[in-house]
Amino acid sequence: MLLAMAAAGLLLSALKDRKKTKQALRIGARQFRHVLPFFVAIFAAIGLLQSWVTADQVQAVLGSDRGIFAPVLAAVIGGLATGPPAAVFPLGRQLLAQDASTGAVATLLMAWVAVGTVTLPAEIRYFGTRFAVTRWALTLVLSIALGMVMGWIL
Amino acid sequence: MSGAVRGIKENWIVGVVGVAYAVSALLSVPKTGRAATVGVATFVELLPTLVTVFIFVGLFQVWVSDEFVIKHLGEGSGAKGLALGAALGTVIHGPLIGVFPLLKSLLAKGARVGVVVAIVSTWAIKLPMIPLEVRLFGWRFAALREGLLLASAFMMATVMELALGDQWKPPDDVALTMPAGGRTIDV
Repeated sequence: MLLAMAAAGLLLSALKDRKKTKQALRIGARQFRHVLPFFVAIFAAIGLLQSWVTADQVQAVLGSDRGIFAPVLAAVIGGLATGPPAAVFPLGRQLLAQDASTGAVATLLMAWVAVGTVTLPAEIRYFGTRFAVTRWALTLVLSIALGMVMGWIL
Repeated sequence: MSGAVRGIKENWIVGVVGVAYAVSALLSVPKTGRAATVGVATFVELLPTLVTVFIFVGLFQVWVSDEFVIKHLGEGSGAKGLALGAALGTVIHGPLIGVFPLLKSLLAKGARVGVVVAIVSTWAIKLPMIPLEVRLFGWRFAALREGLLLASAFMMATVMELALGDQWKPPDDVALTMPAGGRTIDV
């Protein structure tokens, strides 16, 4: 669907101005080529992480921990293990069924998507160390805080 | 800086990951094989998104004027700009890393830092995924999580802008010039 949108955008652009469209494609292609090795490396790292840190292990660690520090643990795990939201939802559900605390699960859901420790090198490259590290740390703290608040309310 | 040195500096992560794979292979060959498979699969899955993003980066560069971005997402855009950013974060999908290039070009066109932070902060909310979340966790959990995340996007944006200060600029590491003479940024 996204590709269709891009194609439509390109078509529209080509109808309006062919030269500009060519230029747009050239910019896109050059930047794509430029970051390709970088992206491949990041995805290789994600693969490595997913193969060594399994859902079973996350479950073993978080499954029965209902203490006040469970969200902290969840943030560390979630922050390390990055993946699509679709993958973490079922895992969170299972953790709840296993008696994990609501706060820890809420934290895991947020940290998983937003903290992004593996992709930190990419973020540094695009936005600089200061931006990336500040955002990384703030998001980590925030996911813990939000998890605790949710655990407390629910 | 010479090209070679720059290449090494930019792609140090490639070396680090290479070493990590070597260590992993020493510890367990099957696990390393699985890691490579997962990596390739994730990458292939993301490829259409990446291609799309870079097409959009190109189109965005050529068609969207600096003035337009500055007006709607720039310094003077206030809470409205942040709200726009937060909304964008909930509808664009795919791994965060995939949109970094697009966010970078937004910044280069004059969007304020907070807007980019807001987009990133609402990334854990996915509009199309809400039905699934409600089904798995119940509506109270989902509503509370979405609400808190939205509120936190504004907070994060403000704190980040304060932390980075007015003078902050993203690095323009790979400053290649436009072939056709126009101004460009490299992401």
